[in-house]
Amino acid sequence: MSLKIEQVHRYFVGEVSGIDLSDPLSKSEVIQIEEGMDQLGVLIFREQFLSDEEQVSYTKNFGELELHVGSNVLKGNERRLSLEFADVSNLDQDGEILKKGDRRRMFNLGNKLWHTDSSFRNIPSKFSILSCRSSPKVGGNTEFSFMPAVYDELDEGTKQEIADLITEHSLIYSRGQLGFSDFNEEEKQMFKPVQHVMVRENEFTKRKSIYLSSHIGKILGWEIPEGRDFIRELMEFATQRHFVYAHEWKPGDLVMWDNRQCMHRVRPFKDTGEKRDMRRTTVAGIAPTLISAR
Amino acid sequence: MTIVIERKHEHFVGEVSGIDCRQPVTKEDGQLMNEALDQFGVLIFRKQAFTDLEQITFSKIFGEIELAKGGNVTKDKDRRLDVQMADVSNLDKDGNLLERSDRRRMFNLGNRLWHSDSSYRVIPAKCSLLSCRSVASSGGDTEFAFMPAAYDALDQDIKMEIEELVTEHSLLYSRGQLGFTEFDDEERKAFAPVAQRLVRTNEFTGRKSIFLSSHIGSIVGWEIPEARDLIRELMEHATSQSFVYRHSWSVGDLLVWDNRQCMHRVRRFDDASEPRDMRRTTIAGTAKTVPKSN
Repeated sequence: MSLKIEQVHRYFVGEVSGIDLSDPLSKSEVIQIEEGMDQLGVLIFREQFLSDEEQVSYTKNFGELELHVGSNVLKGNERRLSLEFADVSNLDQDGEILKKGDRRRMFNLGNKLWHTDSSFRNIPSKFSILSCRSSPKVGGNTEFSFMPAVYDELDEGTKQEIADLITEHSLIYSRGQLGFSDFNEEEKQMFKPVQHVMVRENEFTKRKSIYLSSHIGKILGWEIPEGRDFIRELMEFATQRHFVYAHEWKPGDLVMWDNRQCMHRVRPFKDTGEKRDMRRTTVAGIAPTLISAR
Repeated sequence: MTIVIERKHEHFVGEVSGIDCRQPVTKEDGQLMNEALDQFGVLIFRKQAFTDLEQITFSKIFGEIELAKGGNVTKDKDRRLDVQMADVSNLDKDGNLLERSDRRRMFNLGNRLWHSDSSYRVIPAKCSLLSCRSVASSGGDTEFAFMPAAYDALDQDIKMEIEELVTEHSLLYSRGQLGFTEFDDEERKAFAPVAQRLVRTNEFTGRKSIFLSSHIGSIVGWEIPEARDLIRELMEHATSQSFVYRHSWSVGDLLVWDNRQCMHRVRRFDDASEPRDMRRTTIAGTAKTVPKSN
């Protein structure tokens, strides 16, 4: 079997065949996948029915695991999965569907806003790897948008305007957009804003991209309303339909995406009536985006 | 002269010719204009170089003037225009550009969010008439979205879900989206939320539409994050490109839009360096959208 990557969208997204991710990968396979990620931003693998252990092992091919602390409002005894996983499902620790008014569910609604994973961390994540264990009958797609393509289409004036901008990211900002603001002191401390550059460059392809996320609440040195207005404008531009790939999930799908180059969001489904069991591992980044913070 | 109306968009917008809006309008022509507004949602008149008084007189063919009170944070002594006009410019009372960080400018950035004028009033406005006195060299277009077409394109189950919903509108909510939250007690009182139905029916055409606006901050009986999530979803649908008409202004343009059936927003321009003098008269609505008990 030899690994093949076929591009499925005008700008990005590769579908990968010829590989079984439950087996250890060869060095050349790891390199091929890394290169695919740099170039295409999102890779899709079908019929990969991995155990949690196999998913963790596969993830470690690409760097250190990012542990899922400081990224949600779950209490220690409310976790369904180990700390190596972000639980992107609608289930509680006993596998039951979260109730309509549940605080955890309210918090998770933030995943419907365009974002990049962990942009609220000082060292934001590299890749996310999401495995579909069960999917709803209707809805629940994940959409991706490719930021290098977006950057290329910005007009020259905007490119100049954003070149040196620094933004502040926090879960408090993204959740604030949905009016979720009842954080306790510990959470406020944990979710304190971090700073990132707005324009990033991929070290291998050298393509520039715009680093956007609903976690942004502020542009450094700008009045808040003016910063938010500009971010809203850029978000709208960056998520125009021609930049977007929508993934319709089937059990066994494993999709990995490059958080340095993509935004994503989940689309609506009947989350109080149907189970959607999705398990995410995350590859940690290696440095802050701000040179001064390195 | 005979009045001719030419459709400018698949779903709405009529360009009206054969009328001088500065001259007295016959009862028949007034009737015709009102019917055209019901049908087209937006009417465009070219080369109507109004005085303020002429604009006010013409406006009255659509109903009673709504006074521009309680609609912004400009104090009476700082008004540039008569209280029968809403000042949609970037100018202070002496005709100078508002400073970049001016509180009124920060507040006015909210006009870049999709909204329906005066949806934050107990009786929301019927229509708005905006006269262009000077334009920016680039940017500053106004976009309109037609809500009967957006309603028609909704899935049947969403139509059922929203049919009886009541939303709360306030300037505090729209400005809150941009992180503008510093209001004094008097403003908080003036901007107290009001209830509006989410689905309205035009009494003449019988067409249903979604009554959306960035002023919406909650749905009565819903958790706030869940409400904001649904509203965000509906806003995204309702402002899809297929429902949108974009108007590039020329001096002398008069646009009339039906706030019961349209949303609109202004697009970004270099408002800290170029004057854009736009004067709006607003025609009051005649009834609440919710039953008396609300």
